[in-house]
Amino acid sequence: MSTFDIWLGILAGFRVTASVTLYGLVFAIPFGLAFGVAQYLTSGFARFVVTSVIEFWRSSAVIILLFVFYYALPVIGVTLSAMTVAAMVLGLNIGGYASQAVRAGLQALDRGQKEAGQALGLSRATILLLIELPQALLAMSPTFINLVIQLLKATSLVSLITLSDMTFRAKEISQVEFDPVPIYLSLLLAYFIACYPIALLGRWMERRVSPATEARHGI
Amino acid sequence: MGFDLNFALASVPAILSAIGMTLLVAVTGCAGAASLGFCLEITRRAGGFAGYGVRFLIDFIRATPLLVWLYCLYFILPFYGLRLSALTVGILGLSLYYSGYLAEVFKAGIDAIPKGQPEAARALGIARLDTVIFVIAPQMLRNIAAPMGNYFVSILKSTPYLAVLAVPEMLGEAFDIASETYRYAEPLTIAGIIFLTLALIISQGVKWLERRLAASTVR
Repeated sequence: MSTFDIWLGILAGFRVTASVTLYGLVFAIPFGLAFGVAQYLTSGFARFVVTSVIEFWRSSAVIILLFVFYYALPVIGVTLSAMTVAAMVLGLNIGGYASQAVRAGLQALDRGQKEAGQALGLSRATILLLIELPQALLAMSPTFINLVIQLLKATSLVSLITLSDMTFRAKEISQVEFDPVPIYLSLLLAYFIACYPIALLGRWMERRVSPATEARHGI
Repeated sequence: MGFDLNFALASVPAILSAIGMTLLVAVTGCAGAASLGFCLEITRRAGGFAGYGVRFLIDFIRATPLLVWLYCLYFILPFYGLRLSALTVGILGLSLYYSGYLAEVFKAGIDAIPKGQPEAARALGIARLDTVIFVIAPQMLRNIAAPMGNYFVSILKSTPYLAVLAVPEMLGEAFDIASETYRYAEPLTIAGIIFLTLALIISQGVKWLERRLAASTVR
């Protein structure tokens, strides 16, 4: 099998890889925003509930969550497509991490920002939406970009629940061809080609949003 | 056929019996990743041709999925006559994958040490090696303790990937029960709960350590 055929085979799975990533973001972005803000604003029992939901998605092993939701949901009568399960589990896992970035970004803001808004008589919602969130999200944007890479890489797991993504295709080809070396090395390279531009974008944004940290200490 | 709680509870001892394997993989994987990551960071700092090579290697590792690395090592190494057990391949894969992330942790830990520290050591006539051992290393260890702990939790949560290579850790054990009884939901859910509990306990420990270290820095 020629290198060209191997690449053609792997690329046939790119659509599924890209779909799971994009649908995953559909779950991750609202979850990260809503729960990050909720954790920032609530206190007491409400905060405990919010934190518990976040910790469930963030601290579970994502590979097990994927299997549990794929196999256990039909047993209790909920039948979802493999694509939906994959997008939901991977998305909410990454969303859990994103929520922590949102909360940390909000907490890191100078108190004067909020106080100035209050002094001007703005409502709490206006202060949050127009003053706090834009600054926090911008400061955290490199972290969000990293999480997109984590999500894209985690989509390789969907090959284990029968979705034919790039990893699934590569496994399929190598079972027929019995020539694993070029196939798996191509697969590694395919993920690198997909992820590295995003990593470079993240690095560029990091330089843009934090010029102050450019002053290097170090040895 | 609903969720059988009795069957789920009955599968707990068998799954828990594999916790030793899970912890063994996590601890050796962490040690391997830390040693390899430190070597990578030292080589990167030295610069030159090797430094650039390592810089690319770290970027490459961080832009490729763990699952694909495991497949690569598992299928490619035997092709070159290197026959290793699935357990060894799994630990190697985890070490290699997380070394890329730990190299970044070491980098941040060393960068955060004020430049005055090694300069003061030089002014006092302390030898270069002594400076590294007695001035830089202790401060670096304090800086990196918390992120190291977080990566240890990440490695622990990644150990179920080894089930793909049929290493008998907890997820593998759960799948064994599932394929013998044709009941997937219960053992997988139990494995998920055990992993979540383990991850939460260890991350609480890491947070405690973080607070202790923060308290000891402020004098």
